[in-house]
Amino acid sequence: MNPTRGGWVILLTIVIAMLLAVVHLPAGTPAWVGWLRPSWLVLVVFYWVMALPHRFGMISAWITGLLVDVLYADPLGVNGFCLAALTYVTWSFYERFRMYSVAQQGVVVFLLVLGTEFIRMCAQWVSRDGTLSFWVFVPAAASTVAWPLVAMVLRRIRYQFSVE
Amino acid sequence: MALAIVSALLMTIDVNSRLLQPMRSVLATIISPIYVIAESPYHVSREARATLSTRESLMAENTQLEQRNLELSTMAQQFVALREENARLRQLLGSRQRLGAEVLVAELIGVIPSPNTYQVEIDKGAADGVFIGQAVIDAEGLFGQVVEVAQFSSRVMLVIDAAHAVPVQVNRNDFRSIAAGTGRTDRLELEYVPVTADIRVGDLLVSSGLGGHFPRGYPVGEVTAVVVEPTMTYAQVTAKPSAALDRSRHVLLVYDAKTEQPKDADPAPADPVPEEPK
Repeated sequence: MNPTRGGWVILLTIVIAMLLAVVHLPAGTPAWVGWLRPSWLVLVVFYWVMALPHRFGMISAWITGLLVDVLYADPLGVNGFCLAALTYVTWSFYERFRMYSVAQQGVVVFLLVLGTEFIRMCAQWVSRDGTLSFWVFVPAAASTVAWPLVAMVLRRIRYQFSVE
Repeated sequence: MALAIVSALLMTIDVNSRLLQPMRSVLATIISPIYVIAESPYHVSREARATLSTRESLMAENTQLEQRNLELSTMAQQFVALREENARLRQLLGSRQRLGAEVLVAELIGVIPSPNTYQVEIDKGAADGVFIGQAVIDAEGLFGQVVEVAQFSSRVMLVIDAAHAVPVQVNRNDFRSIAAGTGRTDRLELEYVPVTADIRVGDLLVSSGLGGHFPRGYPVGEVTAVVVEPTMTYAQVTAKPSAALDRSRHVLLVYDAKTEQPKDADPAPADPVPEEPK
């Protein structure tokens, strides 16, 4: 069996996550609704690292992050660092995370998203006149809510295309 | 970790200088199709609405547009006469005649999703001669400035972004100030306005052209509140942006005769205006 199969599937899910991350809301929605957007990229990267730690390494996470920096207009390297750190953490504990129930994984997702959003906010705060606020908890909570769905869909995709 | 160090290094360089601008624009060129795809549902729905709209609504729209056209051409007639007069008077004063600006129409293809930043993606890039720092206006006023240029797209920071500031003057009496963004869609703040300044609610703020980034005379906002407290050094003046920042689909890139020459990375503004984004 070909040990590296379906790399394009991983790439495609990441591109879709990027799309979901930039689809803007219809004009006229209040600004705070934007905080309810789950961190799709964190969820997708977390899933692939946990499921296939040998396929999705820190370098790929970092390069993905660089593209996200440009996508989000963040200082270059912030998201690269966040995603690489996320990959490192997940990679260190992936056996344990796999044994967790979806709810427990949701808690892990909450902490990871909170961490990445916090780092992003700090970077914005340092680099420009951003402000620190407690709003970072909202995307983390939204991601936790979205996690069971994302995990289910990605698992289905992984078996469908037998990504190894 | 090596990656952490590289990331930190990149961040520092990117925040403090423009050395990484080429790298950013290469990455942006790779990534900008994402915005086009993400925008496509809206695009398709607009197209569908345009195709499926009834004859009546088209007629109504046509009538409305004709009326608008009539109003505008009446104004344009006056404008021609006034421009001639202005040129003559300037000649009498011996001062240089201001050149008209050329514009390029661009369409919005995306909005940066983070709730803290107000930046949009437009469909014209380096291939069309867009440059960093270029002023962007819409039909109603100053919209923002270009902060990043990719090959076929570029990114515009809106005037309401918290990192944005533009030198303005009150149209009524030429009182100069700086209009800074607040990070809220309907609000600009004037910085360093003395409590004795003659500024009133309803005053129109236009770009003053000082600092060399923005062309002169485009409406920026209308003063909505002036709060003078005896304990404060400066008056708190807030304004509502003129441009339809959350509604405009089409914007105009301004090629001012004066700003068209490529400038150095640091143009050394005439007065200490913190208008450089980042």
